[in-house]
Amino acid sequence: MIESPAATAWYVYGIVAAGAAAHDEVRLIEQGGLAAVAREVPLAEFGEDSLPQRLNDREWLEASVLAHEGVLQAFVETGVVPLRFGAIYRDAREVERMLEARSAFFHSALSRLGGHVEIGVKGWLVAPGPPPRRAEATAAGGRAYLERRRDELAAARASADRVVDAVRNVHRQLFAVAVDGVVNRPQPKELTDRSDEMVLNAAYLVPVGDRTLVQTVLRVAAESAEAGIELEVTGPWPPYNFVPDDEEPDE
Amino acid sequence: MSSNDLMYRSGGGPAPAQLADVLERVLDKGIVIAGDIQINLLEIELLTVRLRLLIASADKAREMGIDWWEGDPFLAGRRHRRGLESRLKRLEQASGLTDGDGDDE
Repeated sequence: MIESPAATAWYVYGIVAAGAAAHDEVRLIEQGGLAAVAREVPLAEFGEDSLPQRLNDREWLEASVLAHEGVLQAFVETGVVPLRFGAIYRDAREVERMLEARSAFFHSALSRLGGHVEIGVKGWLVAPGPPPRRAEATAAGGRAYLERRRDELAAARASADRVVDAVRNVHRQLFAVAVDGVVNRPQPKELTDRSDEMVLNAAYLVPVGDRTLVQTVLRVAAESAEAGIELEVTGPWPPYNFVPDDEEPDE
Repeated sequence: MSSNDLMYRSGGGPAPAQLADVLERVLDKGIVIAGDIQINLLEIELLTVRLRLLIASADKAREMGIDWWEGDPFLAGRRHRRGLESRLKRLEQASGLTDGDGDDE
């Protein structure tokens, strides 16, 4: 393993326009009108030898992921192109080279995402339909059972259709007032702290300070409540869900 | 987190920043830049477990019929295909963990 004399590396969180105000924890490494939001980190934590082990340490991973998001939050209103977890460079010169190699890509990403934030909207199924009735012991023979079973299945299908229609309607109305929108897979219960089923996991790109989307959520919330869906808004986030497709370096 | 003012829950009080939301964004969204120090997902058991949970949710969604966007011509194929699933599959195939058509579980 090659170790730099200082035994540190540079962790890059995101890319902003050069001249953005830095804050305490991070340094802006500037190159060609761009700046990498970076922090000097110990190789003992982020080096190739120790990283695999650290990443298996749940507390460390979660703290590091939260720190990543925390750093980017400071730039959320000035415009930032968020990087995924784990862009680590051996020294600042390498970060400059990376900025230079991908200059056109980052400039174009910044011009699209600057002045915009991401708003998360989740839908939770809080009022599932009544549980299917159990076949009773007194059921009048097999035919009655089969008929009841058929009715139950039909009712379950109708109820699922109602939820899908309601969720789709929420997305359609929010998408109409957003710059862009994306629907992600609902998160499983194991990852959320709720026992309710998540039925919508969407993100919308809106101009900084624009309240139209949130007002629209408030407007459609009453409607979706009738279908048993509760809406939850999160953010503003850096536009993680709206970064342009990755491309190879220019060189 | 500094600006929580937008957080809102139609069923009551403000929503806390959810760890799952942060994990999903920081580990699966954002631009992937290969730095000098490579993170090998195969060595990350815990991370893989988390990623698997996010993937598993797709099946759950399908089961419930809540996968409408998968077939939405506007939404499908925009950015989902380069997501976790394909990356994990590639890694698993490269490592010989699966023969290429194995299930997520």
